[in-house]
Parts: sequence; C-alpha cells; structure tokens
Amino acid sequence: MFERGSGMMNVVNDVSFHVREGETFGLGGETGSGKSIIAWVLVGLFKPRSGSVKLLGKEINFRKKTDVTYLRRNVGIVFQDPVGSLNPRLRVKEIIKEALVASKTFDRRDYDSRIEETIDLVGLRKSSLDAYPRELSGGEKQRVSIARAIGVPKKMLVLDEPTSSLDVSVQAQVLNTLKELKSKLHLSYFFITHDINVMKYMSDSLGILYYGKLLEVGRTYDVVTNPKHPFTVRLMSNVPGLRRAEHKEEEDLGERGSSPTGCVYSKVCPHVFEKCSNSPPMISLGSDHFAACFLHDKSS
Amino acid sequence: MESPEVPSRNLLAVDGLSMDYATVDGRVRVLENVSLHIEKGEIVGIVGESGSGKTTLGLAIIGLLDTPPAEIINGSIAFEGNDMRALNPVELSRYRGTGIGMVFQESLAALNPVYRTDTQLKESIEILQRTLKLNLSAKDETKMMVEILNDLRLDKPEWVLKKYPHELSGGMRQRVSIAMAIVEKPKLLILDEVTTGLDVYVQNRILNILKDLNRRTGTAMIFITHDLMVASQICDRLYVMYAGRVMEEGSTERILDAPAHPYTQKLFAAIPQGFVDSPPLPAPTGEAPDLRSLPTGCKFHPRCPFVMQKCKETEPPVFETDDDRNASCWLLEKK
Repeated sequence: MFERGSGMMNVVNDVSFHVREGETFGLGGETGSGKSIIAWVLVGLFKPRSGSVKLLGKEINFRKKTDVTYLRRNVGIVFQDPVGSLNPRLRVKEIIKEALVASKTFDRRDYDSRIEETIDLVGLRKSSLDAYPRELSGGEKQRVSIARAIGVPKKMLVLDEPTSSLDVSVQAQVLNTLKELKSKLHLSYFFITHDINVMKYMSDSLGILYYGKLLEVGRTYDVVTNPKHPFTVRLMSNVPGLRRAEHKEEEDLGERGSSPTGCVYSKVCPHVFEKCSNSPPMISLGSDHFAACFLHDKSS
Repeated sequence: MESPEVPSRNLLAVDGLSMDYATVDGRVRVLENVSLHIEKGEIVGIVGESGSGKTTLGLAIIGLLDTPPAEIINGSIAFEGNDMRALNPVELSRYRGTGIGMVFQESLAALNPVYRTDTQLKESIEILQRTLKLNLSAKDETKMMVEILNDLRLDKPEWVLKKYPHELSGGMRQRVSIAMAIVEKPKLLILDEVTTGLDVYVQNRILNILKDLNRRTGTAMIFITHDLMVASQICDRLYVMYAGRVMEEGSTERILDAPAHPYTQKLFAAIPQGFVDSPPLPAPTGEAPDLRSLPTGCKFHPRCPFVMQKCKETEPPVFETDDDRNASCWLLEKK
C-alpha cells in the first residue's frame, strides 16, 4: 500500500495488490492513471510517502540504502521506450555489462560469459553484441532492455508497456520470449499495459487503475469475463476485436476527469448516487475478486 | 483489379505507382507498383507494419511529398479522373482541402501550439471561402465552427474554440484536427493513424464519429493504420501493405474470414486473443525488411512458412482469388 505526495498532488493513492511467486500481475488503466509511478516505486526509483512494499516477505524501508539495494538486486525493469532507455553511445555488450558491474555480484572474469548467456536467453544473435542501439530494430532494442534487466538473475521483472512501441508481429515474438523466460528462469512479472488483449494473454491476475486509485483487482479470467466496477465494465466492452462491431452509442460521459472528493470515477460514472461522495473501500466479491464501488456494498 | 478503362468511375485511382526516395545511401524504392481505387463514399483501409509505405502512399496521394527527395518513377494518381501529376502547384493547392483532406497522427504536432482552436479553424474556413468565393461574416464563421464541433460530439464547443491545443485532451485535440480537415468539405479524407495512442473508448468514439460523418456526408475515407482491429471496425475494404507493396486487397469481411496472403494470415495470428494459458503466438519470424536491401523475389519470402523456390526467384504478380479479392502470392497461381 503506498501513497505518494509530490507537491500538492497525490498521484497514486492507497493502492494494494500482491504479485504471487511465478505469476504475472497485470496493471491496466488509461494514460496518466499512475501506472508507471507504481513501476518506479517497485524498483526503488520513487519513494512512497506511506504504505509498504514487501518482497519475498521482507518489508522494504525506502530510507535504508541496503533495503533499496536489496529491492533493485531482485527486481529488474524494462521501460516502454527502447530508444530513450538505452545509452546511444554504448555497444550492446557494454549496456549489459553496466548492469553486471553495478550489481557487484559478478566476478570481472565472468562478465563476458554471462553477457553471452543473457543475449542467448533473450533470443539475440551474437553479432548484436558489438552493435550500437541505433543499428538495431525496435524488437531487438527491447530484447537488449530485457537482457540488461536479467543479466543479474532476478526474482521479478517490472515490464512497463514493453511492447506498445512495437509492430504486432514483433510484439508477438517479444511476448513469446517473455513467457518462455518466465518459466525458464522462474520469474514473476509485474506487467503494465493499456492493451487489454495483451493483458489477457500475459497475466494471471490484474488490477485496473484510474486516477491513481485501484478500482478493481482479481484473477484475469474473472475480471475480463465478469467485470464489476462500472469503469472496468466500460473498458471491457470497448476492447477491440477483429469484428465490425457497431458500438452502442453511450451517453457522452466525458473522457476523463476525477472527482476531488469521494470515488475518483464518480464524475463520469453513469450509476453515481449519494454514497459516491465518500471514498469507496475495496469490497470483496469472493475468490480474490475486489472492486472499489459502493454498488457492490452489501453491508448497507 | 478494376479495369483501368473506366477510371472516371473512381473518386481516386492510383495505378501502378512506383516511387523512389533519394537518400544519402542512394535511391530507395519506397512504393512499387501500387494500385488503389476508391469510390465515392467508401472507407478504405491501408494496413501494414512500420516502414511498409502506408504514410508515404497517403502523402503521395495528397501531393505533400517534395521532389526531391521523393520522385514518382511510374504510374498515375487520378482524382475524379484528373491526373494529379499534370496539375501545376496552384491547381494542386486547390485540390488539397476541398478535394482531398488529411488528418495526421500526432494532433499535438499537427496543430499550431500558439493558436486557439478558433484561429486554427478560421484558417481552413478562409481557404474554403477563397475556393467557393464565399464571404462569410465573423458571426457566420463562428456559427459554422460551433456546428462542426457539435457534429464531432464535442460538448461545450464554445469553450473548445477558446482553448489552445495543450489545454485539450488527446481525444478532443484529434477531433479539432478532424474539424480542420472537414470544414472544407473534402470529397476524400485521408486519416493517418488518427486513433493511435488514444485510450480504447476514446478511440471507439472517434471511430463512431468518422462512421457517422461518412454516412451523413458521403465523404470517402482512406484510413491508414498499423492496427488491424481498428481497421476491421471501420473499413469496407482493406489494402495490406508490406515493403512498399500491396500484398492483398479485398473486402474487410473476406479478408477477415479467409486471408489469402500468408503475410495477412500471420498478421492476424500475431494478435493476442486468449488467456494466459494459451499457446505461444504463431508470429512470423524475423522483422520487416530494410527497404535499402530487399530480398529477391517475393519480399515476404524469408519470413513465409510456405516459401517455394519460385518465391525466391520471381516476385509474384497480383492473382485474383475470387471476384472481390486480390493477393500477390505464388500459392494462388492457377495451374
């Protein structure tokens, strides 16, 4: 659970979830909902103001350098933009080596063999080792990012929209590689995407974020086939398919906007009622399925 | 292919278009023997991955490419039966806007950041007045702008008119760009990745608005996108492009039901559909080729699961699979 205050703005508020070992937790939501902020917290790039993060049962104290180092040693990150996240002046092998050097867990003599091993794992050719990022295609660049993240063996990878800048055929290849790596290296994934089809395909559990608030969490199958929060319902009914669907013309609810008090979705929610001026708690819907919506509050 | 003898039936007819870009590494063929026909009121999709030539084709049609670096080597572009290449710059500029309009992907970059929406839209209205020799009062102009924004289902159009681009959301901005193009009532609207980067329901709303515009005014549209699912939602017919070539062309339904070209088949298969326990995605291996060093024969052959010796040697011509579909693949050759 964390809350992060930057100046006057609360960007992510009271968000709770857990990633099970060996599973993928997907985080979805629209642009600007705070998905990346959560990714940054998970690798210690951002300190939450309150709440806690536990990794393998150990609580992380973000003020303690050793704890942050522990977090970073076990959690790797792959960013969305492969161009911006790779140093253009380093060759591929130097990019991966940087991560090995920084971890201080590898012997200098093992660098080369480890780099080659990693390159092989992510499906890059040996010849790419001497290439600069600009000489690689989008898919290859993203594979370099993945190699950098797993160069030092990790328990979990944070994947922040890793395929959204790629073409569909290349996206499919990278998703296949990620699934393979996960079982081969016994990894867990925290997978951020705005693409529900990708989320469905990749994640065991998922959460839907809106204006820094988690609106619904549950097993992927349950949330996709039986969404409970009005926002999730709307999101799932808009998932594009390969069919010419005549979309029901909904009332113009406005595109975005959050309510300063009460439920963040109340400003645009078609079901809004008096209670929504309060902030809804996470209400259990059984079998690990939760929604932050008073519509499902049976206590009253 | 539609018979070239009756080009006047088509609103737009691109026939056998080949185009080069002059680059520091020499000439690069960016479009090869591309043919595309659009009738009045049709919505046609151009789909393909990055570097397939979709945007280049769009820019060539509206005549926005400079020579050099771009140079048409072969073929013709005819709009309402008139050869666009024979037009002088003055005639060409009259075409743009009232004949063919274009909306670009990046609405933030396409709109002038120091103009409010009304100033921006007035530029288009002025061109319309010049072409149609109209003389609208400022009041009429405002009325016209409000009407168009209303048609695009922007609530509070008066408020939007007074806003700068950065003050609007992505979906609103994209609709302002569309408004700029449709003010001039073009007969053909080229939409280049207009829904890319928008949240799904904003995307769906824009698609609905475009379909509605098409039904109300009969504006024909070329919808350029890398997203097959988006294309399948709005287009009557699809052109699938790869390495500057049209690989398959036909009605959206037929292509969705039974894609004829292995590339189209692979594109569909690459879209994730199932849940986490689904098998690996049958993606084509490798990536799109570099236009500077294309393979011999069929440009898709190094990634094609059905490759034959012939594919490596000779580029396949266009074969007709049935009355409404054409694909350029040796598998479809009738023996």
